[in-house]
Amino acid sequence: MTASATSRPVSEITAYTPNAYLLRIRDLVYQIAGIFHPDHRLRFLEDRCGRRMKELGVASLRDYLDCLSVKPDRQVELVALLNEITVGETYFFRNEPQLEALRKVILPGIVEAQSKLPARRLRIWSAGCSTGEEPYTLAILLLEEAKGLLEGCTFDIQATDLNERSVAHAKRGVYGEYATRHLTPQIRGKYFVEEDGQLSVSMQARARVTIQRLNLLDDNRMTSMSGFDIIFCCNVLIYFDAASKRRVIQHFYNSLMPRGYLFLGHAESLFGINDDFQLVHLPSTTAYTKGERQQERRRLP
Amino acid sequence: MTPLSREQIFKKLEGMENMPSIPATLEPLLRYLSLPVDQLEVQKVVDIISHDKSLTVQCLHLANSPLFCRWQAVDSLRGAVVALGLARMKEIALACSFMKMLPKQIGGIDPVIFWEHSLGCALVSRHLARKLNLPNAEKAYLAGLLHDFGIIANVVVLPKEFGEALVLARAREIPLHEAELEVFGITHAESGAILAHRWRLGPELVAVISGHHTPELATEDRSLVALVNIADLLCRMRNLGYGYAERRLVNLMEEKAFAVLVEDCPTLQDFDWARLTFELDNYMFEVHRLVAALYRIQ
Repeated sequence: MTASATSRPVSEITAYTPNAYLLRIRDLVYQIAGIFHPDHRLRFLEDRCGRRMKELGVASLRDYLDCLSVKPDRQVELVALLNEITVGETYFFRNEPQLEALRKVILPGIVEAQSKLPARRLRIWSAGCSTGEEPYTLAILLLEEAKGLLEGCTFDIQATDLNERSVAHAKRGVYGEYATRHLTPQIRGKYFVEEDGQLSVSMQARARVTIQRLNLLDDNRMTSMSGFDIIFCCNVLIYFDAASKRRVIQHFYNSLMPRGYLFLGHAESLFGINDDFQLVHLPSTTAYTKGERQQERRRLP
Repeated sequence: MTPLSREQIFKKLEGMENMPSIPATLEPLLRYLSLPVDQLEVQKVVDIISHDKSLTVQCLHLANSPLFCRWQAVDSLRGAVVALGLARMKEIALACSFMKMLPKQIGGIDPVIFWEHSLGCALVSRHLARKLNLPNAEKAYLAGLLHDFGIIANVVVLPKEFGEALVLARAREIPLHEAELEVFGITHAESGAILAHRWRLGPELVAVISGHHTPELATEDRSLVALVNIADLLCRMRNLGYGYAERRLVNLMEEKAFAVLVEDCPTLQDFDWARLTFELDNYMFEVHRLVAALYRIQ
C-alpha cells in the first residue's frame, strides 16, 4: 500500500467532479469493450476522448458521446478511442501485480497439482502478443524460476497475434528504450544483448517462445490450440463485438487444462460474456479460472 | 518469557486495566441518538458534540470531505451535523473514538493503515448492502468500520505478541488472524468480542466483530456477518488491507460467507464482481485522502 497519500489539508483538496457525459462514456466503454476506468483514471479517459474530439472537430463530451453511441459509424469511433486508450501499453514487465500473482500464487499451485505426475509441463499462451514484450517477459519470469519452483518442469510459451508486422517484430526480438525501461539491470544483463544501441532478447529466452500469426476468430486453427495451463489475453478482446468475444472466450475455455487460468488486461472484465469462467481474486489483481471440474468441450455459441 | 496460555490472555483482556475508556461524549450521544428519529433535535446533538473539541473538528472536516458531501462549504458545527445527517452521527462518533484509541505505533507499523482498512471495509460493506437491498446500509457501514475492533484490544493488552504476529503475517503474506493464532493463540475476533461487550456495542456489532473470520459459525445476524467478511476479504485482496497483499487465491463463489449471502439474495451470483473490484480503486484514493486529513487534526 502506498503511504498515507497527500499532505495537503482537506479544505484545499478540491474534489474532481467528473462530467456526467464522461461517466456515461465510461459506462459505454465498459459495457461494450469490458474495460473499466476507476475514478482516478477518469482524467486519462477524458484526455483520450479529447484527442478524438480534436480529430473529429467535436466540441463537447456530450456530442462525443453521440459519436460513440448513436452516429452510424459509432463502431469505428469506438475502436479509434480504444486505440487511444491502449496506445503505448506494451513494454517488458507491464502489469506487475499480474506477474507477481503468477509467480507467487498461480505457479506454485500448478506445480503442486502436477507434483504426482511423471512428467511436469507448463504451457502458456500469449494471445494477442503484439510486438512480443509479453511472451518474452513470461519466458524470463519462468527462466528465473527454473532452478527453484520449476525445477524438473519443462515449459514453453506460444505467442500469437493477428497483425503480421507485430509478429515480424516479435520474431526479430529487438527493442528500444521505451519497451525496456522497466527492466532491472540484472534482468537486462542476463537476458538481453546490446545490438546497435537496442536490446535483443537472448537465445535462452527466445528458445522458450514460439511466435505465429493467428486470427482468434479462425475456428479451425483455434480448435488446434489446446493443453494450456495459462492464457494471457490483454487488451485484445476489448476490440471484439459481444458475439465474437463469446466465441473467442469459449475457445479459450476449451484450450485450457482443468484448473487453468485466463488473465485479461488490467481492469478488463468478462461480465456478461461468459458464465463458465469464474472470477478469482489474487493479490492486487484478478484472473479467471476454469475451475476444478473437467467439463466436456463446449459447443461454440 | 514463556508464552501466555489462552486462559491467561482472556484474563488479561477481561481485566484490561489500561484499556482506553469510552470518550465522555460518546455515551450520552449514542443514548440520545437511539431515540426514534422523529424525536431527535439537531440542536441537542450539536450541544452534546460541542463538548468534544476533536469530534467537532472531525465533523466539520467530514462534512467538507468529497467522500460524504459534494455541495457548498460547511463552516459551522450545526451545518456539519445537518449536512452529514443525524443518522450518520452515530457512526462518526464511534469512528472518531475508535481512532483515538489506537496507539500511535502498532509494533512499528503505522496505525493509519488499520484505519484505512476499516474505512475501506465500511465503504465496501455499505456498497454491498445496497446491492443486496439489506434494510439498513448504514448499519453495514458501521459494522464494516468496527469489525477489527479487537485489534485495539490486542495492541493494548498484547503489544509485543501482536507486533510479532504482524511481522509474521507480512513476512509470510498470510492473513493476520492466522498469524495471531500462530503467535499467541487467539484472534482479534475473539478479543474484539470481549471489548465490544464492554463498550455495549449491541448484539449485531458484537456478532460481526466476533464472527467476521468465521461467518459460517454465526448464529445471529448471519447476513451482516457474511457481508462484512466478504467486504473485508475484497479490501485485503485489493490494497486496502493491513499494508501488504496476502499471497493467496480467493474465489468468492467458494467462500462460506458467499453461500450465506446467496441464501438471502440469489441474484448475488449474477452480480458484476469484476466491476466492484475495479471500483475499489476509487475507494482507495478517497480513503487515503480522508484518513490523512482526519489524522492530522486528531
